[in-house]
Amino acid sequence: MTAVLRTEDLCKRFGGIVVSDSVNLTIDRGEILGLIGPNGAGKTSLFNLISGVLRPDSGSIYLNGEAIDAAALYRRARLGIARTWQNMLLFRTMTVLENLLIAPRSYPGESILRVAFARAAVREAERHARDRAMTTLARMGLEQTASEMVVDLPFGQQKLIGLARTLMNDGPVLLLDEPMAGVEGAAYETMQRVVREEAEAGRAVCVVEHNVSFIRDLCSRAVFMANGKILQDGTVAELIASSALTELYFGV
Amino acid sequence: MEYLATIGVLIAIYVILSSSYDLIIGYGGLSTVAHPIFFAIGAYTAGLLAIHSSLPAPLNVILGGMAAMVASVLLAASALRVSGDYLLIASLGFQLGLLQLIKNLDFTGGPGGLTAIPGTVTGAARTPFFLVVSGLLAVATVLGIRAIVTGPYGRAITAMRDEELAFTALGRDATSMKIVIFAIGCGIAGTAGGVYAYYFQYISPDQFEVLQSAAILTMVVLGGMGTTFGPVVGAILLLAIPRAITFLNLPPSIMAPTQGIIFTVLVLLFLFLRPAGIVGLSRKTL
Ligand SMILES: Nc1ncnc2c1ncn2[C@@H]1O[C@H](COP(=O)(O)OP(=O)(O)OP(=O)(O)O)[C@@H](O)[C@H]1O
Ligand SMILES: [Mg+2]
Repeated sequence: MTAVLRTEDLCKRFGGIVVSDSVNLTIDRGEILGLIGPNGAGKTSLFNLISGVLRPDSGSIYLNGEAIDAAALYRRARLGIARTWQNMLLFRTMTVLENLLIAPRSYPGESILRVAFARAAVREAERHARDRAMTTLARMGLEQTASEMVVDLPFGQQKLIGLARTLMNDGPVLLLDEPMAGVEGAAYETMQRVVREEAEAGRAVCVVEHNVSFIRDLCSRAVFMANGKILQDGTVAELIASSALTELYFGV
Repeated sequence: MEYLATIGVLIAIYVILSSSYDLIIGYGGLSTVAHPIFFAIGAYTAGLLAIHSSLPAPLNVILGGMAAMVASVLLAASALRVSGDYLLIASLGFQLGLLQLIKNLDFTGGPGGLTAIPGTVTGAARTPFFLVVSGLLAVATVLGIRAIVTGPYGRAITAMRDEELAFTALGRDATSMKIVIFAIGCGIAGTAGGVYAYYFQYISPDQFEVLQSAAILTMVVLGGMGTTFGPVVGAILLLAIPRAITFLNLPPSIMAPTQGIIFTVLVLLFLFLRPAGIVGLSRKTL
């Protein structure tokens, strides 16, 4: 079986800092891959390389077997690489619903010509997006927040909105950067359930997370990264059992 | 009466300029100081066509707007390829460079500018005609921009300005949108230039200096950046109030500085009282 997403010898350095050192990573359909490692290990940078925020110095990225190295950031999103951000990056002056409406893979409203001359198509896309947005919010129990300003919501709900916005992209790959950081209580349960459901629906999910119990609950496989290098790839139990990693990361 | 009508035409033209500038900088979040030169491109294109061709005046005005639009696409497409911040530098270079060129070319009339542009409409109907045309164009501009910044396209503009990285990573082509917004704003400025050339029948490079963008920016900021009617209010206030005192029949030696003082006081007053502009919503205090 070919992996949905595969990186091949991905290298990137910023001056003297190596953030990606020949990284070979695969994410399969329906799996939740955990990506763990200390601060500054290069986890977010790896997401940036995959999604197209950063260009690698060398190496390749394949989506369903096809190289996507030439595709710009926005094109990779349209190809179906959806991601969240460690610091959310929500649209702060917009409502919850508006944050979601802007986010489908295809958004005819971004073309002034189509807005002017293909009104019916734009309206149809809007209606479709609205349905999907409300369904996604309902899955998180947040449908009543739809018309609230996103900045007025509590932190945990903002994190969920960040995920909901990303889920408007119905593509095959989902990259989640620390979805649990600062999230507790009901939002925590919801986050866990929704991420699991997305994988069950067939997405290839990769989660960066410092919360080890979250990784243990959700991931069958995890990779450990430090100084831009993947040091170990295995089951979560194996990673935690590894004494070298325990020293490096789990800090025991 | 003639004087009032001229102020009316000027106000309409500056409403068009400030509204289109607001579309670019306030809504689009783009930095540019080249608005006067796109105004100039429209004015010179229409003026030259009026002098040297027999094309109808409305077509020349439209061609002026299109010339400005084409030039703005070339500028924005090459500058934004480098980075968003680069547009500011590139626009400054374009503004200064092209104006310098206009000052030194023969067919543009050099520093003296274009004189004797045919007036199209003559006689008593002339002034009311231009008042109506420029007024209608101003209304069309304001309503057109209002349509652009609302609905699905407006939502995209807002999201792009809020958080461009996330916006792009959701699959939105921010660069193309910026070029389009820039082109629409500059095309509108060029169209205003065409009307300006036909009305005054005389244009010269010093009317399009880079400092003009400071004046237009002041109108935008004073009225309320990123609002539909802010630039309208700003343009009317800053053009009308300093001129209103000319009716006091003061000697010129007192008049000129008084106008300057009124302008400055007005700006300072409003910036202190309403930092988000007269029309702008007062920002929630954090
Ligand atoms: N654009 C950049 N320019 C220079 N250095 C960068 C840049 N982006 C990241 N770095 C550096 O690369 C290293 C890896 O950063 P990265 O954000 O990928 O780490 P991380 O594993 O996500 O850490 P954390 O767990 O704290 O989020 C850090 O030392 C960081 O300072
Ligand atoms: Mg990180």
